[in-house]
Amino acid sequence: MFEKILLPISSEFYPRNAMRRGVFLAEKFGSSIKILYIIEEKTLEKADRISDIYRTQYEKEETESNMEQEYLSVADRIVFEDAKKFFDGKGIQFDGKVIKGEFSDVIKDEIERERYDLILMGFEKGCLLHYRILENSDIPIWIESAAEGREVILAVCSNLAPNQKVPEISVELSRTLGWELRMLYVVDTQDNVEVDKTGLRSGRKSEEELISAGKSFLEEMTRNGIKASMVKGILEKETIKAAKKIGAGLVVVGREQKKTGIMGLSFKTVKKKLVEKCNYSILFVN
Amino acid sequence: MEKLKKKMGRDEGHSFNRWDIFSILISFLALTLFFIIPPPSGLSHNGWLMIGILVMAIILWITTPIPIAVTGLLIMVMQPLVGVEAAEDVFHSFGNQAVFFLIGVFILAAAIEKHGLHRRIALKFLSMFEKSPRMFTFGIMISSAFLSFIMPTHGVAALLLPIVASILVAMKAIPKQSNFGKVSMLAVAYGCSIGSLGTPIGGARNVLTIGILANEGIKISFFEWMKYSMPVVFIAIPTVWVILQVVFPLEVEGISEAKKEIEEQVGRMGGISRNEIIVSAILSVTVLLWVFFSSPKYMGLAVISLIGSMLLFFTGSISWEDVEKRVPWGIILLYGGAITLGVGMNNTGAGAWIANAMLDVAGNNVYLVILFLIMLTVILTNVMSNVGAVATLLPIGLGVAAGFSNISPLLSSMVVALSGGLAFMFVISTPGNAIAYSSGYFSTRDLMKAGSIVNLACIAIIFAIAVIYWRGVLGI
Repeated sequence: MFEKILLPISSEFYPRNAMRRGVFLAEKFGSSIKILYIIEEKTLEKADRISDIYRTQYEKEETESNMEQEYLSVADRIVFEDAKKFFDGKGIQFDGKVIKGEFSDVIKDEIERERYDLILMGFEKGCLLHYRILENSDIPIWIESAAEGREVILAVCSNLAPNQKVPEISVELSRTLGWELRMLYVVDTQDNVEVDKTGLRSGRKSEEELISAGKSFLEEMTRNGIKASMVKGILEKETIKAAKKIGAGLVVVGREQKKTGIMGLSFKTVKKKLVEKCNYSILFVN
Repeated sequence: MEKLKKKMGRDEGHSFNRWDIFSILISFLALTLFFIIPPPSGLSHNGWLMIGILVMAIILWITTPIPIAVTGLLIMVMQPLVGVEAAEDVFHSFGNQAVFFLIGVFILAAAIEKHGLHRRIALKFLSMFEKSPRMFTFGIMISSAFLSFIMPTHGVAALLLPIVASILVAMKAIPKQSNFGKVSMLAVAYGCSIGSLGTPIGGARNVLTIGILANEGIKISFFEWMKYSMPVVFIAIPTVWVILQVVFPLEVEGISEAKKEIEEQVGRMGGISRNEIIVSAILSVTVLLWVFFSSPKYMGLAVISLIGSMLLFFTGSISWEDVEKRVPWGIILLYGGAITLGVGMNNTGAGAWIANAMLDVAGNNVYLVILFLIMLTVILTNVMSNVGAVATLLPIGLGVAAGFSNISPLLSSMVVALSGGLAFMFVISTPGNAIAYSSGYFSTRDLMKAGSIVNLACIAIIFAIAVIYWRGVLGI
């Protein structure tokens, strides 16, 4: 399922727990791991822009060069040394490289260049990363959280997603990891449309119609032996609430098509809201 | 491990995003509104337009769609353009001796940086604090603050960043997870900011204050500045250090790796060079001259500053190429814009009008007015260039002094100038924060968390010093 895992680490934030999760997944799925240490150009540019007139171009370049050296030593002496400790002992095949660029762009280039089955990464709210990759990747993205959950998978479907891959991947994950699977269907009251199997949004629908579609989905899941329930509310809020209630070890979310923003000004997407507010690991299945 | 490095892509010109264009439009729209709407009673049309220029500058300084120095130029251009001041008067206020003091300071700093004297001083300081991790972080603050007494803070932050980062890597401190890493890097940022209050050299805002006060007929020497500011520095450094220890309790116990790394770095520097000796001698003489002979009856700040710079050329310790490489001329333009803004606000009565409006809110309580002024400056300096914040609030401070017999212009100006250095909360607040942030060792949330407490503590310190020491003891 996850033969080749990409583990991107930004110079902005080193999620050690993602490395641990990498070991866990590699052991379960027999995966190989590629670590990508990304020297964030954005951070350097931000410091440059704020230093603006206070420092000359020569001085700014001097500082950048010093910082790049420091990032390289963090990569060599902390990240890759950790990787050796984590992976070598377990016989997990891994490789690593350092690239300078913008986090999401570098990952995008890398997944276009090589085939990967999963992107495994951490998330830090208090940094300058935009995490655009959450919206731009066709490959599943596993966001590892610091919080330890129970061995339960919460698979979230809704009227706003095609609901094709989530049940499929969740069942397989549950089987391979040996974790309990719980399915939640959310009828989103903020955006009352239905998304079809191809990902297209319908016109506005009444609440009764959405609930009825949800019920049919639940029946289908129950026929397949999956414990499922339905709630009405806001997709992201209900997901977070349910994850907290059951202490989910992993929340699986599909490619929702919820409309965000007003008058063309985009606000935070559902995915961004989820990773910011959910304390449990999330797998985005796109 | 494969290492792939992309070439730096610089100098491709600046492209505006939608937000930049929106900010520029809003800033000009604001000025236009001041042009259209009649002034309130008690304020002249020119004063009203001057407030419009101030609002425009604040918007541009906060959102920075154009470099902040260009906003400085815009301030100078807009005044004759809207008819607030004659061009001659605007540029006249730019010709203050403080400009040449700044130039001299930057040339001295360039020589220090060129020969690595600052690195040697920093390592010497750090090696004196190797007893424990806690003492080590205190050493970082002391080094940052001390170096910020003798050179601009941004250079100090840029110097200490790689030194401290390499020590943290040697100690295997994990970025954004290690509290030792957080405290060490925050100590760099905060040490620089606090140290910058200590002498006129620390920041252009100090020079700006001296320049604006000189226009009011109040001359401050180097020593006098230190007399007012040093108590704030001496109280703030240990206070902020204790706050950092409490907010981020250190997880490391040993410091042996740091010791080893410092020894290695000292070893790599080798013995002190001839040029380092010359630069430190010239620097010492210049500082002594500043301390003892910078009052107006002797030489003044600028003459001494330029003597020091010229000695560097005569001894061959610096070349013009070094000056071109290391002197940030843009700051002179920012300074120019800021001082003309201050003078314009004063001359048109706009500063006094805002001050009166402020007094209506704060009432006649002298303590409340001082506190209000400190807090207003701190809020502004956290969201925009601190030179801009001080330029905005100094005329208001002077207006407060004019309308309030219990507050002298010197007191209100020092309150604004020192509060203008308390930019602790955001990455954008000051280049020192941004440079330290780029180490990756603390998050924006860490900065906000520690910064808000540190800000409150420093507000209390400046308030106490202003009331007890400046007013009570020195009688200013």
